Amino acid sequence: MELLLIPFAAALLAIFVRGDGARYLALGATLTNLGVTLWRLVGFQTDGSFNHETNLPWIPELGASFHLGFDGISMLLVLLTNILAPIIVLTTWKRDFGQAGRFYGLFLLMQGALVGVFSALDGLLFYVFWELALIPIYFICAIWGGDDKNRITLKFFIYTFFGSLFMLASLIYMQQKAGSFDLNALYAVELAPSEALWVLLGFFLAFAIKMPIFPFHTWQPDTYTVAPTGGTMLLSGIMLKMGLYGAMRWMVPMAPEAFVGQSTWMMILAVIGIVYASIIAVRQSDLKRMIAYSSIAHVGLIAAGVFAFNREGLQGGLVQMLNHGINVVGLFFVCDLLEHRLGTRDLAKMGGVAKTAPRMAVLFMVVMLGTVAVPLTNGFVGEFLLLNAVWQANAALAAVAGLTIIFCAVYMLRAYQLTMFGPTGPRTENVADVDLVETLPLALLVALILVLGVYPQPVLDLTAGSVERLIQAAGL
Amino acid sequence: MFSFLTVFALAIVVLFAGLFGLRKHLFWILATGLTAAFAVGIGEWIGYDPAVEGPKVLAGMLSFDYYALSFGAVALGAMWLIALMSGFSFRHLNKSLGDHYGLMLFSLCGAFCLFSYESLLMLFLGVEILSIPLYVLAGSQRRSLASNEAALKYYLMGSFATGILLFGIALLFGSTNSLDLQGMHTYLAGSLERPGLFYTGLLLVFMGMSFKVAAVPFHFWSPDVYEGSPTLVTTYMSTIVKMAAFAAFFRLASTFGIAAEHWAPIVAGLSALTILVGNGTAVYQSRFKRLLAYSSISHTGYLLLGLLAGTPGAGGAMFLYLLSYVTATIGAFAVFQLATGDSGKEEISVFNGLAKRNPWLAFSMAVSVLSMAGIPPLAGFFGKYFLFAGALAHWPWLVVVALLGSAVGIYYYLRLIAAMYFTPADDDAHEIDVPWAYAVVALVCTVLALALGVAPGYVMGLV
Repeated sequence: MELLLIPFAAALLAIFVRGDGARYLALGATLTNLGVTLWRLVGFQTDGSFNHETNLPWIPELGASFHLGFDGISMLLVLLTNILAPIIVLTTWKRDFGQAGRFYGLFLLMQGALVGVFSALDGLLFYVFWELALIPIYFICAIWGGDDKNRITLKFFIYTFFGSLFMLASLIYMQQKAGSFDLNALYAVELAPSEALWVLLGFFLAFAIKMPIFPFHTWQPDTYTVAPTGGTMLLSGIMLKMGLYGAMRWMVPMAPEAFVGQSTWMMILAVIGIVYASIIAVRQSDLKRMIAYSSIAHVGLIAAGVFAFNREGLQGGLVQMLNHGINVVGLFFVCDLLEHRLGTRDLAKMGGVAKTAPRMAVLFMVVMLGTVAVPLTNGFVGEFLLLNAVWQANAALAAVAGLTIIFCAVYMLRAYQLTMFGPTGPRTENVADVDLVETLPLALLVALILVLGVYPQPVLDLTAGSVERLIQAAGL
Repeated sequence: MFSFLTVFALAIVVLFAGLFGLRKHLFWILATGLTAAFAVGIGEWIGYDPAVEGPKVLAGMLSFDYYALSFGAVALGAMWLIALMSGFSFRHLNKSLGDHYGLMLFSLCGAFCLFSYESLLMLFLGVEILSIPLYVLAGSQRRSLASNEAALKYYLMGSFATGILLFGIALLFGSTNSLDLQGMHTYLAGSLERPGLFYTGLLLVFMGMSFKVAAVPFHFWSPDVYEGSPTLVTTYMSTIVKMAAFAAFFRLASTFGIAAEHWAPIVAGLSALTILVGNGTAVYQSRFKRLLAYSSISHTGYLLLGLLAGTPGAGGAMFLYLLSYVTATIGAFAVFQLATGDSGKEEISVFNGLAKRNPWLAFSMAVSVLSMAGIPPLAGFFGKYFLFAGALAHWPWLVVVALLGSAVGIYYYLRLIAAMYFTPADDDAHEIDVPWAYAVVALVCTVLALALGVAPGYVMGLV
């Protein structure tokens, strides 16, 4: 509950803060929230039960209540949100937003909504937080976005809202069967096969658009590119996990009867997305767009693992959600640093930055290696588990999905080479190296990448019990 | 009943006060009278005992139950807000201010009849009392061609509609030998062999009501009338009039609920058409009043879902939806009137850059618009939620159409948001002075849109 109240209260305050105070307010609030989150981990029950539950009456006519709780899965994603939030605030420290209060107000509102999404144990509450998370990010993208922002953000909003409406229809249908929006009551509903299929498809549409997986991804590259980098980090680092989390917690256990029959083509879609996005990423000349496409590829693999819905797939998916969040924020930050120093995102106009900015080059390298999933970086653990899971479900698909590692190495190394090495051009002769404010978030990300790469066990322990319980609840 | 009488008395007082040159005091007379009527209405609501046969008046033709009293209170509240806006909107009116107020209040009396009618005769009278003052109000800008056109169109179309309605009522009377809703109910429960005359009458009555609520294909009058009428009159028409028409339609539909299999498919078809045409056409509008006219048509489509639900909670769902719709619409029109000011511009571009100029005004408008679009956790979302959920059991395909319609709706509602927040202001645009009355209206509408979203259940329990 506090984890929600702190960002919401800070968001409200931020509106009234003039000038630079909003930055300090946002940093203070996000750090406090991280502190509370870590404190919550002390004595945390990892057997899959829900910790720190809040259950208040809300709309009794519908059986909807304000019900929050944290099991290992929720906790991991809340942790991800609250670790990334202060880091994102630091990465935006030097950016001028005109009215900083408005930017950080929306940012904090978004953080609160995301925590709500990951901890809601009531269907309607989940939906409300789900939509609430969309509004601030829409404003962030549309106010501080780049060229053609109005058209692109409108497409983004309508796309995702369209999907969520069908999730709402599924939720209402389930509620009428169960008489309540309580998670366990919804789990307990037995559906006829045809009903279950429609319920499943309603959820699938919402989550597939949010992740996004092929062919529902067309909003994503444009939106990531046009959004201000802080917004892109929110979108790619945290928000797309809403879709993956929703599939785990809500879609599959709600309609397992239908899911068994449909999981294969869902995995096929996810794997098509991996290959398709990877090929496009290799061909990109715009660094930010390239990262956007690489994000589709990575999410495709996580989605494939989640749709496999076995122990490795869910565990790997969760670990990789955390890792992807960390890595992609790092990548977008480096992209932002380069864009502001060089005035361009075009890979062809970069080169030789490593000579003048060696610290940036080293930090970027670790982030890059983590993304490529080199052993001893965080990406390796997740991708290994995920490929293992897909293999168990379908060996042929796993072989195709495995291409992601090769492709990723190709486009990431290409990007690294084109930016950092090679001859310096007129733009890159006098690039300033990262200063202290910029090094701090990047160094924190790098530390996380290495620590989680060497010793991922705490994360696996955190989620193991919940994953077990989830598989039982789905009866798979 | 007494709040109804208070409104009627107030209408006469205001009319005469205007005649005797009390222009300066008119607003305060109106405000005091409305407050009194509202307080009386609340008193009646508290004192009402559903166990006892309700107070029926005029030989049982009107019945003031919870349903009628709650809708009455909302209509009075809405009238209050409109009255607050009138100081600015009607600032150019001199002698005729009293007439304007009087006409609105007489029309409000018609709305009260529609909330509480027990006899089809009273339904017809209510529709007429509601509409006739509006024909005058629509044309009250005598020198404006559009206003004249609006009045004529509204009058002709409205006459047709009431004619059809009356014809239907006559046929129903012919076949059931009764004008009472109670009598209709007894007739429906008693006989399974009903003459064709009965069904023809039913169809005509439903057609007449569809005209009044502007359901497609009976909607053609509404965009022109909304656009041509003075903005405050448009506000009145799109809120109180629509609410009254729907409250009446719902009473009718629940009376004929037993014979639902005969009319429900037609209403479902109308609903789907209305949602698709309303939303689809709104997308192409560039003028604000026309945009809201088509958006209001699409809301008619959603509200028709409420007639189909046939569940005990459906009345509450209609009430919640209408309440959220009325507050959002008044809020949006209030901001529009300020934004357009004296310029007479009606394009959406009057909102350009409003967020920079008047952040709170823009925020209020954004909340209203998002509530209309049905974004949680605002009031409009729960309104839609309960309507859609009620219809889901019997009309799943219609709910899918409604969901698709809502998704289309997002597009044009967001255009308003985009104009306020993401488009730079025109060169000659400046910060708007907000009169205190408008600040109150915007505040009330915003707070209601937010508050109803937190506790929708309480409101639904009122009817």
